[in-house]
Amino acid sequence: MTATRSWVAAVMALVATVAVAAGTLALGGFDPGEALGALVQGSMGSPSVFLSITLVRAVPLILTGLAVAIAFRAGIWNIGAEGQLYAGAVAGTALGLALPEAATAWVVIPAVMMAGAVAGAAWVVVPAWLKLRSGVSEVITTILMNFVAIHLAGWLVHGPMQEPRGVFPQSEAVSEAARLPLLVGGTRLHLGFALAIVMAVALWAFLRFTVAGFQVRAVGANPEAARVAGRLRSRRTLLWVFLASGALAGLAGAVEVSGVTYSLYEDLSPGFGYTAIAVALLAGLSPLGVLFTGTLFGALEGGAGAMQRVADVPAGWVGTVVALTILSVVAVERLLRGRRDG
Amino acid sequence: MTAVRIRGLGKRFGPVTALNGARLTAQAGEVHGVLGENGAGKTTLLSILAGLLPADEGEILLRGEPVSIGSPREARALGVGMVHQHFALVPEFSVLENLMLGWPGPLLSLPREEVRGKALALEKETGLDVALDAPVKTLGVGERQRAEIVKVLLQEPAILILDEPTAVLSPQEVEGFLRLVRTLADQGTAVLMVAHKLDEVLAVADRVTVLRRGATVLEAPREEVDAASLAQAMVGAREAGSVVHLREAAALQEERPPAEGDPVAELRRVVVVDGRGVTRLRDVSLEVRPGEIVGVAGVEGNGQRQLARVLAGEMAPTNGTVRLPPEPAFIPQDRRAEGLVEDFDLTENLALRLHRWPRFRRGPFLDWRTLEARTREALATFSIRAEGPHTRADTLSGGNQQRVVLARELEGEPEFLVAESPTRGLDVAGESYVHQVLRDLRDRADGPAGIVLISTDLDEILALADRFFVMVRGRLVPIHPGPDLRERMGAGMLGVE
Repeated sequence: MTATRSWVAAVMALVATVAVAAGTLALGGFDPGEALGALVQGSMGSPSVFLSITLVRAVPLILTGLAVAIAFRAGIWNIGAEGQLYAGAVAGTALGLALPEAATAWVVIPAVMMAGAVAGAAWVVVPAWLKLRSGVSEVITTILMNFVAIHLAGWLVHGPMQEPRGVFPQSEAVSEAARLPLLVGGTRLHLGFALAIVMAVALWAFLRFTVAGFQVRAVGANPEAARVAGRLRSRRTLLWVFLASGALAGLAGAVEVSGVTYSLYEDLSPGFGYTAIAVALLAGLSPLGVLFTGTLFGALEGGAGAMQRVADVPAGWVGTVVALTILSVVAVERLLRGRRDG
Repeated sequence: MTAVRIRGLGKRFGPVTALNGARLTAQAGEVHGVLGENGAGKTTLLSILAGLLPADEGEILLRGEPVSIGSPREARALGVGMVHQHFALVPEFSVLENLMLGWPGPLLSLPREEVRGKALALEKETGLDVALDAPVKTLGVGERQRAEIVKVLLQEPAILILDEPTAVLSPQEVEGFLRLVRTLADQGTAVLMVAHKLDEVLAVADRVTVLRRGATVLEAPREEVDAASLAQAMVGAREAGSVVHLREAAALQEERPPAEGDPVAELRRVVVVDGRGVTRLRDVSLEVRPGEIVGVAGVEGNGQRQLARVLAGEMAPTNGTVRLPPEPAFIPQDRRAEGLVEDFDLTENLALRLHRWPRFRRGPFLDWRTLEARTREALATFSIRAEGPHTRADTLSGGNQQRVVLARELEGEPEFLVAESPTRGLDVAGESYVHQVLRDLRDRADGPAGIVLISTDLDEILALADRFFVMVRGRLVPIHPGPDLRERMGAGMLGVE
């Protein structure tokens, strides 16, 4: 993936998203100007709106977007970021609740993050094993594991992990020490955003500068050549990528609990792990690009609420835009690629 | 009656001439053997007749009428049916359902009983035996092939093309198959059959046509040929003044002293059985010494791929011992699939092999600056026509791509190199460059290398090798140098004693 190509992808992403958004609004009989105006106002109308709404939403999108990007770069079609996120959220919450209230945040927060990452990685072990052992398509298995994780979280907040009064389907709130500190006072922007940026830069540097990252790219670009010309045993590389991808998505879950909700909820994620596929594809699978596309979709989803109030556009519309944008970008990319090969 | 007459057929693929004035004449009711080495143009010729490829020049007459065949559909309408080397059956469907595919008629009708009746009648007539209701995936290759033949025969072709039909069959199946071919011809079909094994052609054919380098070099009735004369026609007599001739003459005058020194690579009684239980290498033993090129010729599918893979340290043998230097240099046959990552730039392609070497890394990081400098040098050393070290590999021509592979594999002055058809698809200039590189590596003053050259191109082996082998059905057979080397190797490749 060259620099030019990721730039082309980023511009394409923006143009496609705006075009699809305006087009679908017009088709639905809404005034695109009014609706998009409300969307912009509601997502970046003021610095505090931008920080509290858009960037807060961008955090899980960036982290799961990175999870999808690293997997796709290696040729692994991990569609299970959603489930891995839930696994991470469950583990993070459980650990946050289990640690003594008096413990210092310097210990608790890293421990909660680690628990999320480990649980996310654990959630891909079965798909990875099935794929690398017997070639079972990870597309199917990771999707199926999503349902397991989502319903497992649902059962937990109705049962073993339900708050003591047993009224709401949610867990008890984690202690102060397990909550991520705010980055900017007076907003809801938490430390998780910095973590997301660090992860994106680290992943970019990993792919670009390290031996292991080069091996991941080689295996993804041409597994045969990686084996023959690169003398690589791709199975080991792929296993690590599976685990890293799951860990990043699991981290997103722990960050979401620790930075935003403070409790485990049934519908903790409005489909971050699925939107992550669009985030990663639009970024041309480039980790730095994910920072931008993650923020873009954060704005879209964050502004959708304002748009519903002002212009009466149903919130589900954003899902349509996301889906149509994936389709148009994938189509354009294939066309460009087809022209090059032909 | 003359069923098919082909004259002056020409076909080029980029710089490669596949057919150059080929001709072929076959009568209705005869079995016609089409012979030639790999790359001689047999499959191209028959693919043009079957409408799969357009010809660049030449004419085709069917039953005396000049025709132009633009597609397989047109070929079928003209009575030409082809059974391919690789079957085109839907594995999940039963044989009958496969037969119904492509059956003419309205889209919404299912002519199940009609097709069953026709197929049963055909099976009775020809003695072809296929279980119509069995799913194709449960059938063995022999049965699949019979299903494919039934499918083609249901179109009642006047001309039936069989492309290497016996390659996938066991010896017992071959016998029955050849009887079937005879029966079909006796019923009036002109059967054109490509085969590598001379004894099969001699057993069944009425006439033969031999192609060499895209041209027809022999057309004769069966009675006038034997295995020796066919082999000779296929591999060709010595052409005066040709590179091969000069090389052979030189070899005879001044035999290179045999290479000495400890072997750099050694196979002892190596056996390879593939995943399907087929034995690919049988008891192969070989020692490669520094300063020699060991040439292995053979018709494709006789175990060369497995030999190359074992020598490259890529495949563990099922049995036997292998001693190799660490990480042998390897030029794989398919550079686009295995030799390069086409999405990578040239530096990254060199890094594929070099990225683990201490010189090119700093701890866990790649030293891209050193790698890029090394690539720049390689571009100059190997005269690679590319803008720079960051040119993408897929923008290069085949010859330049192969130079990139060579540059990568020759890095670090390897003592042992395996080259698998290294000049496939290259033009003459590219070919002679690769040959020169291999010779220089062998003769390197500060430590000659041992090289194994595996090729389906006999001329390449003769031009380069110091010792000669042929691969036949998984066995590595030594051929002694000396007079008539070319003829003896050609015969050896074809399994003629």
